[in-house]
Amino acid sequence: MTVPSHLSSAAESPVTLEVIKGALRAAQAEMSAVLDRTAMSPFIREKKDYFIGFFDEVGGLIHGAGLPLMGNIIKPVLDRFPIETMRPGDIYWYNDCYGSKGAVSHTPDQVIIAPVIVDGRVRAFSQSWAHFNDIGGLRPGTLSPDADNIFQEGTIVPPIKLLDRGTQNDDAVAIFVANSRYPDMVRGDLRALIAAVRLGARRLGELFDRYNDATILWALDQSKRQSAELTRTRIAELLKPGKYSFVDRVDSDGHGNGPFDVAFDLTVDGNGGLSLDASRSSDQAPGPINFLMPPTVPGMSLGLYATRNDPTLLVNEGMINTIEEITLRSGSVLQPNYPAPLGLRGTTFVKVQQAVLGLVNAATDGQGPAASNAYSLYYMRGKGPDGSPFLLTDGVAVGYGARPTADGIDAVYFIAQENYPVEFVEMGFPIRILTYSLNIDSGGPGRWRGGTGVIREIEVMADQTLCSVRIEGTINPPWGVSDGRAGRPGRIFVNYGKADQRSLPPVKDGIVLNRGDILRMETGGGGGWGNPFDRPAEVVLDDVLNGMVSMPAARDDYGVVIDEALLSIDVVATEALRATRAERVLFHYGRQ
Amino acid sequence: MSPPSETRTLSVAIDVGGTFTDVVLVDRTTGQSWKAKTPTTPPNFETGFITGINKALALAGRPPSDVAQVAHATTVATNAILEMRGAPAALLTTKGFRHVLEIGRHDIPRKANLYSWVKPKRPIPAHRIFEIDERLDVSGQVLRPVDEDVVRQAAKAIDAQGIVAVAVCFLHAFANASHEQRVRDILLEVNPAFMVSLSSEVLPVYREFERTMATILNAYVMPLVSSYVSKLGSELSSNGIDAPLLLMKSSGGVTGAASIRKAPIQTALSGPAAGIVGAVYEAGLAEFDNFITVDIGGTSADICLVQNGRPGVTTKSAVGEWPMTLPMVDIHTIGAGGGSIARLSEAGTLTVGPESAGALPGPVSYGRGGTEPTVTDAHLVLGHLPQRLLAGEMKIDVESARRAIEDKVARPLGMSVYEAATGILDVLNNNMLGAIRVVSVERGLDPRGFALLPFGGAGPLHGGDLARLIGSTTVIVPPSPGVLSAMGLTVSSLRNEFARTLLQDLNALDVSAVEGAFEEMQAQALSWLAEEQVPEGGQSIEWEAALRYRHQGFELSVPWGDQTVSDQSAGSLAERFHRLHEQLYSFAQEDTPIEMVTLRVTAIGKLAAPKRTRLAAGKRAAETIIGRQEMYVNGQIVSSPIYDRSQLAEGEVVEGPAILQQLDATTLLKPGERATVHPFGSLIVNIPNAAPELPNKQA
Repeated sequence: MTVPSHLSSAAESPVTLEVIKGALRAAQAEMSAVLDRTAMSPFIREKKDYFIGFFDEVGGLIHGAGLPLMGNIIKPVLDRFPIETMRPGDIYWYNDCYGSKGAVSHTPDQVIIAPVIVDGRVRAFSQSWAHFNDIGGLRPGTLSPDADNIFQEGTIVPPIKLLDRGTQNDDAVAIFVANSRYPDMVRGDLRALIAAVRLGARRLGELFDRYNDATILWALDQSKRQSAELTRTRIAELLKPGKYSFVDRVDSDGHGNGPFDVAFDLTVDGNGGLSLDASRSSDQAPGPINFLMPPTVPGMSLGLYATRNDPTLLVNEGMINTIEEITLRSGSVLQPNYPAPLGLRGTTFVKVQQAVLGLVNAATDGQGPAASNAYSLYYMRGKGPDGSPFLLTDGVAVGYGARPTADGIDAVYFIAQENYPVEFVEMGFPIRILTYSLNIDSGGPGRWRGGTGVIREIEVMADQTLCSVRIEGTINPPWGVSDGRAGRPGRIFVNYGKADQRSLPPVKDGIVLNRGDILRMETGGGGGWGNPFDRPAEVVLDDVLNGMVSMPAARDDYGVVIDEALLSIDVVATEALRATRAERVLFHYGRQ
Repeated sequence: MSPPSETRTLSVAIDVGGTFTDVVLVDRTTGQSWKAKTPTTPPNFETGFITGINKALALAGRPPSDVAQVAHATTVATNAILEMRGAPAALLTTKGFRHVLEIGRHDIPRKANLYSWVKPKRPIPAHRIFEIDERLDVSGQVLRPVDEDVVRQAAKAIDAQGIVAVAVCFLHAFANASHEQRVRDILLEVNPAFMVSLSSEVLPVYREFERTMATILNAYVMPLVSSYVSKLGSELSSNGIDAPLLLMKSSGGVTGAASIRKAPIQTALSGPAAGIVGAVYEAGLAEFDNFITVDIGGTSADICLVQNGRPGVTTKSAVGEWPMTLPMVDIHTIGAGGGSIARLSEAGTLTVGPESAGALPGPVSYGRGGTEPTVTDAHLVLGHLPQRLLAGEMKIDVESARRAIEDKVARPLGMSVYEAATGILDVLNNNMLGAIRVVSVERGLDPRGFALLPFGGAGPLHGGDLARLIGSTTVIVPPSPGVLSAMGLTVSSLRNEFARTLLQDLNALDVSAVEGAFEEMQAQALSWLAEEQVPEGGQSIEWEAALRYRHQGFELSVPWGDQTVSDQSAGSLAERFHRLHEQLYSFAQEDTPIEMVTLRVTAIGKLAAPKRTRLAAGKRAAETIIGRQEMYVNGQIVSSPIYDRSQLAEGEVVEGPAILQQLDATTLLKPGERATVHPFGSLIVNIPNAAPELPNKQA
């Protein structure tokens, strides 16, 4: 397209900057649409477990997404392929966690990168990673709590050139596909990722054509500066100089070990400079909850929290680099040594986010949000009615932490990740869902209530299935803050309420379920914020009527007495119960 | 209905907008038309409705008995949903699934910040959701029969609360409607006045959250829409109009009032859809069939792509916070309009919209208390609008607008007022460019091959700039851009859609099951056409199948050419699907099996289009200049003539800079742009220096 005269004359103006930012957002949305609509792994197409980002020529983030799981994702490719050798039509691929120093954090996430080449020179990169259903490994679905080293977690791909000037390395793809139990899906997902990343490269190329290079580079620089300055201001408003500490805990590694501490010691100096020491965190785990954490993760978490009400900022380098100095201890759960398993790093990643919020609360006397739960999952593998193998990887929502201004989110999994509709899973898998509801009383009581988890009951309709399950926060549930109470932990049962009822450990693989067995996942809620006695009684009544809070809990947790016949508030009894309250606590851990 | 008579030749169309009700009256035999505008009269919209009709009839000098058809676009359902003002409604659902609505799809929207996002409150709280013991399996087989006692208890409890709107949504009801139907029978035994919505009728398509949402929204708006429609009916007959009332549906066709009372949710995009129908009609007269429409109002802009004379229809849409998976004209809406507020964020970012000053307080220049600079203020400061609006009815305060832009945008950014005003429009135009890309590039289509058709009061001010941005060479400004929706109503066809989820492997089609589903829908379609009294010559029926590669989660609709079911038809469907996938996403996967998910049948009843006459004799362009005004363009102040568009004769040419004024809209031509008056009244604007080849940057 030509440069509209009224735009070129105003090059390097705030208007051009907004136009370029808008173009980056639009390109990202287009890439998402291609992935959503064409990918095959339910992980990608329904759960949207993918990330799309644009990077500059040295690998700095130009625009990403609000997912604080970001390492230096371009560098592993640049280290192996000198930038001057890159040609139009080249596409690179890797999933090697240790080789990329955690830029990709577990092996099922395939990273695909295309350089944006303008006038023979690499100017930027279009990148996406997405979580593939099965890339080999110990068990169907690749990830298993049973893994004790990274070789059990799927085929490792170091940075390679997947397409050379438009021609695909079919041999490499063939090797990878042959190592999957679901080769059709792997093939389809790779095609979808390549199409999306190419599209992004094309859109970025068009942007460079529309403006001159200097204008674009100026705009990218400005946008970084905008994000950096506002993020710094917001953090300075949040954190006064001082030393703050917070420890959150992962219950278990699935191998009977735990808990594992995620321990942060933050120093805010007189100029507002931040340094974070995570070395008090526990030693690495034998099981796969280790998180090979890129040092940018806690800072990005803090940046996203601090700018939560500033939607015009791009998520870029400026928002991420909020902490100047990070100390990680090699051999710890946040910096495990090769070849420790990493498959379930999501649990620890969620705890890192909560620990950052814990620091915010420690520094503000409880003016931050309460803790959220880590998402839950179950896998089911077996043979369908026609004898072909099936693999169901079903994410189950949890409750998020309450905030000083709002309840925690009920029944939520993660950003942009959608559930499998009951009618979808029953159409495609030999199972039947019997219950899908909110988990009553799981939200941490508070002036603002923690979000509730859910209950999902799954009846097995196949002869024999091998299952794995994963819920977090059963021993160390999400903490409440400012007098709010911790969220209530989840539980897992087989054949709940029947003669052969049994409960399952929270993190476990190798569970055999037969036809007619019913798996019941009850997930935990988020922490509450503020004293529950301050929650208006009529809001508590609403919660009771709507199935979020039981009548006994209304009385015991909230001091609200409800007349069972009239379904109305007993004002006198409520006032009496609420007359005395315990001394305020900053954090309520609710450890079991 | 009265017998046809020779003078019963009038069609009347009424588009009720937020501020004004537009009425277009057309004599279908002569093509003569009359337009009337009257204030909208909330909450009694029927008052403005009938006042407008009478005003138009008086203009035409014709009696009410000459009206043969009344067509109407309504925002009653839309507003009830957007403003959460629907009736209290109840839902009966399968035992174990009371919280399906509350859980939703368990996601936080991708664009949201997880720390600040709050889950929107549902239209029906969980305490008005009743669980019924019953269960179907995925193929529709009964696992547990309906526990009728529980249904009766629920019905009585609902009745006791004085609720009349009741939705029923059971798992897998798309495969077997009998449980929902039985429950309706019981509900009506308990209270015959219950207004019952069944998911198997509203949207018999899989995915329970989306189907439940469509069904409860249907119930939620039904009492309002139903009473509105019956009020319209009685107003019409008490005013001597004995003609069928047709309502515009979101899918871009009209249907009788009786159908809408059963499925009011189908009017969720009634007004915007009517605009698209009008655009297709006017563009057709001007001999364009590939174009992108941009309807710019006060608070939002609706963008739609029309290819080969047909707008896209989507089943992945949204109304407010809620997903809407019923067929709707594929309109992309963004919060950008004349009233959108320009603002600087703390980070120094210039944003325009989605916040709007609306009609009140309105733009600063309207002097009704607005203090935030808006898009309209930017146009005024730049001299794009005549300084008198609505034939002098409203006083315009350009100086205040200038001051607001200076204080709130120009000075903080270190720009001149003109640069700041231009910047406000640039940001807005680029927001719209993003939306145009969504409807074009994301559909695998290059927008440069499309003309741009702006409408709505503010649309023709942006046509030229938008065409330049997308690289298009032509802008079509319809004769009455401000009342195009009403125009569309007079030329619309009847339309109804039927759908069934039926999962099939395309390589091993169960021919009889597919035939059975199509036959059933075909029968429904034919009986609907008969109900609407469409003569056989005007009937047409189309079949479609929604397909995907195995393991994908998103389907593409492919026309089912010859309407027979066989292995051959499967083969040609597959071929069409591969090509469409390739066009949209740049690759096909011929090595991968294809699944068929949903079958659709669309019934269309074509109504004879009114005759349209060419423009009456007019004046030469130079003779229609009614004033001049200073305009800021590219760093210069130029003097622009103001033309009275209604006086222009066909074939006249107007060169920019120019302002073409008419009652319902203003068209802006920048220097170099050149408009020719088409014989049927549209302006065909040539946009210079557009559409060079895109450099081939295949990465």
